[in-house]
Amino acid sequence: MSSPKHDFFDANTGIIDRRMFTDAAIYQEELKKIFGRAWNFVCHQSQIPESGDYFMNWIGEDEVIVVRDREGKVNVLLNSCPHRGNTVCRAELGNTRSFFCSYHGWNFDLNGSLIGMPGEDIFYRSGIDKKEWGLTPVAKVDDYKGFVFATLDPDAPPLDEYLGWVGRLGIDFMATQGEVEFLDGVQKNRIQCNWKIAVDNLYDWYHVKVSHGSAMKLGVISDESMSPMEQMVMLGEYGHGIGGPGISEERYQESEQRIRSGEGGKIWYDRDVVKRMRPGVAEQLGPVGKRSFGHPNIFPNLWVALTHQVCLRIPRGPYETELWWFAYRLKDAPEEENFYYQSSQNHLFGPAGLLEQDDGENWSHSTRGATGTLAKTRPLNISMGLGADKISQDTSGQAGVETVVNEHGQRWHYQSWQEWMNSESWQELMTNHSMPPGAIV
Amino acid sequence: MSGVDQLSVQERMLLKHEVEEFLFMEAGLLDSRRFDDWISVLTEDIHYWMPIRRTTTAREVEREFTKPGGMAFFDDDLDYLKMRVDRLRVGRAWAEDPPSRTRRLITNIRVTDIEGEEVAVGCNFKLYRTRLNSEEDSWIGRREDTLRRVDGHFKLARRHIFLEQTVILSQNMSSLF
Repeated sequence: MSSPKHDFFDANTGIIDRRMFTDAAIYQEELKKIFGRAWNFVCHQSQIPESGDYFMNWIGEDEVIVVRDREGKVNVLLNSCPHRGNTVCRAELGNTRSFFCSYHGWNFDLNGSLIGMPGEDIFYRSGIDKKEWGLTPVAKVDDYKGFVFATLDPDAPPLDEYLGWVGRLGIDFMATQGEVEFLDGVQKNRIQCNWKIAVDNLYDWYHVKVSHGSAMKLGVISDESMSPMEQMVMLGEYGHGIGGPGISEERYQESEQRIRSGEGGKIWYDRDVVKRMRPGVAEQLGPVGKRSFGHPNIFPNLWVALTHQVCLRIPRGPYETELWWFAYRLKDAPEEENFYYQSSQNHLFGPAGLLEQDDGENWSHSTRGATGTLAKTRPLNISMGLGADKISQDTSGQAGVETVVNEHGQRWHYQSWQEWMNSESWQELMTNHSMPPGAIV
Repeated sequence: MSGVDQLSVQERMLLKHEVEEFLFMEAGLLDSRRFDDWISVLTEDIHYWMPIRRTTTAREVEREFTKPGGMAFFDDDLDYLKMRVDRLRVGRAWAEDPPSRTRRLITNIRVTDIEGEEVAVGCNFKLYRTRLNSEEDSWIGRREDTLRRVDGHFKLARRHIFLEQTVILSQNMSSLF
């Protein structure tokens, strides 16, 4: 029997019912239908290079161990001992030969198999089938260009198909720059906001001048690089999206000129713009993709930022989200270039970041703004640019909108969210989900 | 070898008193939002750093903090610190508008080394912040500071901050430690 359909978002008007941010039952349903079903980013291959290296992450509220085994394979295992449910790993990262439960001493191999427990012969007299009682693996693990994803749902489509061209493009923005090596250290902090508001914000190039006005006045970021009048949006199946500045021919020429004259060396925008157009790279990104300088979100919660960073928005209840900022360097880039990026990584985002410190209160108050009796009844407006833009389809199959600051990405995020919530299974979602406007069906 | 051992008891008491006076004065400047005055007690070459801390097993506890030059919550020179202070003046620095109310408790102060004009000082701190009506943050940790005598007065030449939290349980860290 299917549950009543949610109608929190109206795609025709861009109006949302703000209870989607605070309702406890909705949150529980999201854990199951969104995080329990999606391909979730768990780590980059370079974070766990050696056998026994592990990194802990979360899929919804399930904590998982991401570990490289002796055969070099990456396993993603539920951090829960099948004996009493205790966690078998309490560190955030490390290297180990096995996972040993601190409660009764059940011991698990790097692939999750139960390899021993105290008193196996003398206490378990009728025997116990150790093969049946290993750590629970997730349904599927796969990798796209070094970025490891896992899903709890055996019916999920293959990762490549799940990502589609927009999700893959989001990762290609990073992977085409060179060999990616993640840095040691993930900045983690908690914001009292709903995770969807944190995702909404990454598509939001409207807030920059206001929310980050102080950083802009100090020249930490420039109005020019935010390109409010020159925006580009690409929408992908199942909720992936890319939104942000576009790179026009004139802008490209300007950046190219600055790089050539040596004065662009310190301007990340110039450097990345020019890299996008390099032969080989441009072909991989495609005719539309190469002209985007936007923020990809791999649905549901992986933001690919422009600073050689990705950020997970991990749900911690309807009113709480953990932000995890991962950073990487390019193995073959000049040291000076990596140093420059790292300076941005340590100064723009994260809880002390000159940009991000001003976001938290906006997001938490926006979430809290849905709790009052009257407030609950008041709709929120996400209609900017609705119906005003045409998606143009390139002969390559890539499609995008070229426009000014807009809320296309946010609408697509909420619309997709609703379709996921209104589907009882992957099969239903595959049948019922909307194709992004402009896509070849 | 630590230069502290060469000092007499009286010299050590006097030095500790001087160090305390500086640290309490400087904490007071931040508590009372005299940020420009705080900037004026920093040396030109200050390094202000807070690494990321992680939960590790006891066996791998040497991996607890990220290394200097790696990822960090703060990795500032004087220009970046000035930026943090200047942004409060230019408007739209929402994390501090309305301004936070902060109080710094500096304790367990010990002089750990003396070299030329520089004194290495370890201390524990609690930085309590409250905002709006009911927001509360409490950051507790340890600092390794280097004070340098410039024209007869101490200035802060290095501040390395080691928090106890791994996941920062705050929406931001818009305060200075």
